[in-house]
Amino acid sequence: MPEPLARDLLPGTLYMMILRTLQEGPLHGYAIAKRVREWSRGNLEIDDGSLYPALNRMLVKGWLKAEWGTSENNRNARFYRLTPSGRKQLEHESETFSRMIKAIQLVMAAR
Amino acid sequence: MTWWTSLAHRLGYFGRRRRFDAELEAELRFHFESHIEELEQSGLSREAAVAQARRRFGSRSISLEDARQAWQFRGIEHGFANVRYALRQCRKHPGFAAVVVLTLGLGIGANSAVFSAIDAIVLRPLPFPEGDRLMRIHQINPRRPFTFAAPARFTAWDRLNTTFQAITGYYTEDAFETSGELPEKLTRAVVAPRFLEVWGVAPALGRDLTFEAIAPGAARSVLISDRLWRRKFGADPNAVGRSLRFGGMGDAVPTVSATVVGVMPASFLFPVREVDVWAPAALARMMPFREANYYTAVGRLKRGVTLAQAAANLSVVQAQLGTEYPQTDADLRIGLQPLAEDLAGRLASSLWMLFGSAGVLLLIACVNVTALMLVRAVDRRHEISLRASLGASRTALMGQLMTEVGVLTAAGAVLGLAIAAAAARLLHVAAQNLPRVDEIAMDWRVVSYSLAMTVAVTLMCGLLPAIRATRRDLSCTLAQGGRTQVSGRGRLQWVLVAAQVSLAVILLAAAGLLVRSFQELGRIAPGFEPSRVLTFQISGAFAEVNDYPRLIQRVDRTLEFLRTIPGIEQAATAATVPGVPGQFEEEIRVVGRSESKIAADSRYVSAGYFTTMRIPFLSGDQCPERGAWALVNQSFANAHFAGTSPVGQHLTTSTATTGTTIRGIVGDAREQGLHRAPSPTVYWCASAPRPSPFYFVRTSGRPAAMAETVRRKIKEIEPARSVFDIAPLDDRLGEAYSENRLRMMTLASFALTAVLLACVGLYGTLSYLVTIRRREVGLRLALGAMRGQIVRRYFGQGLGVSVVACAAGLGVSVLLNRALASMLIGVSSNDPFTLGGVALVVLTAAALASLVPSIRGALVEPVTVLRDE
Repeated sequence: MPEPLARDLLPGTLYMMILRTLQEGPLHGYAIAKRVREWSRGNLEIDDGSLYPALNRMLVKGWLKAEWGTSENNRNARFYRLTPSGRKQLEHESETFSRMIKAIQLVMAAR
Repeated sequence: MTWWTSLAHRLGYFGRRRRFDAELEAELRFHFESHIEELEQSGLSREAAVAQARRRFGSRSISLEDARQAWQFRGIEHGFANVRYALRQCRKHPGFAAVVVLTLGLGIGANSAVFSAIDAIVLRPLPFPEGDRLMRIHQINPRRPFTFAAPARFTAWDRLNTTFQAITGYYTEDAFETSGELPEKLTRAVVAPRFLEVWGVAPALGRDLTFEAIAPGAARSVLISDRLWRRKFGADPNAVGRSLRFGGMGDAVPTVSATVVGVMPASFLFPVREVDVWAPAALARMMPFREANYYTAVGRLKRGVTLAQAAANLSVVQAQLGTEYPQTDADLRIGLQPLAEDLAGRLASSLWMLFGSAGVLLLIACVNVTALMLVRAVDRRHEISLRASLGASRTALMGQLMTEVGVLTAAGAVLGLAIAAAAARLLHVAAQNLPRVDEIAMDWRVVSYSLAMTVAVTLMCGLLPAIRATRRDLSCTLAQGGRTQVSGRGRLQWVLVAAQVSLAVILLAAAGLLVRSFQELGRIAPGFEPSRVLTFQISGAFAEVNDYPRLIQRVDRTLEFLRTIPGIEQAATAATVPGVPGQFEEEIRVVGRSESKIAADSRYVSAGYFTTMRIPFLSGDQCPERGAWALVNQSFANAHFAGTSPVGQHLTTSTATTGTTIRGIVGDAREQGLHRAPSPTVYWCASAPRPSPFYFVRTSGRPAAMAETVRRKIKEIEPARSVFDIAPLDDRLGEAYSENRLRMMTLASFALTAVLLACVGLYGTLSYLVTIRRREVGLRLALGAMRGQIVRRYFGQGLGVSVVACAAGLGVSVLLNRALASMLIGVSSNDPFTLGGVALVVLTAAALASLVPSIRGALVEPVTVLRDE
């Protein structure tokens, strides 16, 4: 597993990635962190200390719903699920983000 | 996401804080343990896995706190912290806190008190259902000062208009209730039909009055007040149907019994508060008399009708009556006024003047506190820059400083409300004769007014010091190690001092003019001698005028009897009290002259009036005991008989058919009010112009001491009548001007507080400058400066600013005081004597306030200062 790129993610992308991991279905916090690590092939790592504050802020905003369930290792865990407004937010953020990435790439590749 | 979903979520959090924390703990534990498990599966030992997971996770408590914060209202939580900090600061500097709270408390208290009075007397609708629809209807005769209406007229208005729900009228009179052991004097309102409909109030017990024609001798129906019901019937629910008996004063007035048909609720605050009985008017008999103008006409507008519409409508109705009854109605016009406004009368302008003054006082208090805050901010520079360098944002710092001001202001507002409540209680007792004064109360309106003022004051006092204290350049003070440098000359502080002094001058000048007016009022020679005169009334009933000769005989007999009482030198009656404001103008014609009618003040007096009042005789004769005669005053003779003698001429009025002969001329007296110059007056000789005229007796001793004797002696000859309204004439005159006195005292107390605050401000500012210049002064002294020079410089600075401010304040006063002109008596609105006196008082106070810090400033020991460095 390579060392993660940076402790801090690109600013503003944490919400987007959390929303993305939940697109396939509800997950608990630990699974969200793990999924980001795996999908980025170990390049990205969500800081454990900032994951839960972010999740709570998203609950306040109404993008997520949380409910208690049983984890794969048979423990009580809190599962997060996208709400319709969370889904909308994800669409909006990912579209803005990919436009920005393309723009940055254009700038960097310009001759 | 919308703000209200997040608000709802956050509010939900407040309800289950504990559970939330437990869940968050559990969640974090799950995360931690899952991590350890995973690390163990990848082959690490238990200890190594725990250590690595812990390293990765960081501080759990920070994470917990951050997550919790997502749900909290950060502003509020910070606000609480700021308030706690502010309270700690107050405890650390109790003297400073006390001065600020006291200063703002006085300012806010004065404002809340005046506001509560304005609210009750001017702003709030009358305490009746939809009280703002109640209108006073004035019947305006261009040649008469009074606007009362005759029943024949207002019942026609009621019938013919389209804009009023109902129109009624009433007058009040004294009545004597004789069903008990002793006759009791009550105030009775005689009311026209539709009375309760206009007020919109139903009796708490029983039913409305009946207005059918009342057979002579038959019992009338009356409504009684809650007060009388409790006093007379012990709040008996079966009081309806019981009888009261009125009159019974010899055979001139037959006793009338009246059946109580209802009890009005205690909340029915009739404009004439003393009224205990409402009796139906016998209108059928009154209809032919279109000049019986003594009813107060009141109407209730239909919903949605404006005052202008109603006035236009009634004017049309009155014009119609004018063509129908040209003799009496052609010249009459209609004036409409909200009843609340009519009741407040002249008091409204006094109250607004006091409200403005209280505002100025509060402004002074705010400026004072601002100056104090600025000084404090300098003391706290070190603390503030330390906080700033530790990462506190400017907004956070300002928030904290503003919270401190807010806490002090809130405490001041609580004190202010206490002051206002005390003032309201004082007014209830001391100013009972003001309209609606019993409605002054500390209700939610006064409290929210004070709350609004708290916010405004916080911004006014806090913003400037907070902005200055958090200016970035101050953060460099850290580098200076807290050393006090001689920074600036305190220009802003001096501006604030100047503002306070000039505002105080404005208030003191206004108060000074009112005080001078009051002095002038006492110094005026009224043309009669009010001292050693006792005044009173003896009960009578309107019905006595049916047998006029008998009424005159009774009053004359009483007068003769009074003159025989030892201790009484003279006795007389009159329809009016001289010197108590009131105009009784009437149209007069001189028989045999073609010129148009003359308007003159018309007074009815008995024989002996002029000797009793010590109004000098100029020529001719006194009022005789018998016969229709008239006397005129000097002004009347000069105005209408220049060069010739009026004695022997004949006068008529609009109602009289035969002429009355002028018998003599008397000196001018201020009959219409002590503050009014005498106007042309006709005195008609009549000892009984009404059944209960005012009696005046000149006593050889103190008039109040004679009151009991008079009461006892009258009882001997008139056992069925009672003596009431008994008071020395001096007291009556004082009472007539009690509103002026109240206004003067209130404004004077505001002004003195203002001067005191300005002096505190001056003293504080100079003390502060003295403190920060200690080092400089120490050096100067060490280099050979004289202490006297130092004192002179400080003192000169303090006094110089005061002189400039005083001049500015006087300039503004001259402009503002024009608005006071109508309240002044005998002084002009820029009376140089008053303004000079104000300048003298303020500058003396300023000099005293400057002297102490100036001397202290020069008493610096150079050695001590240099050692401190």
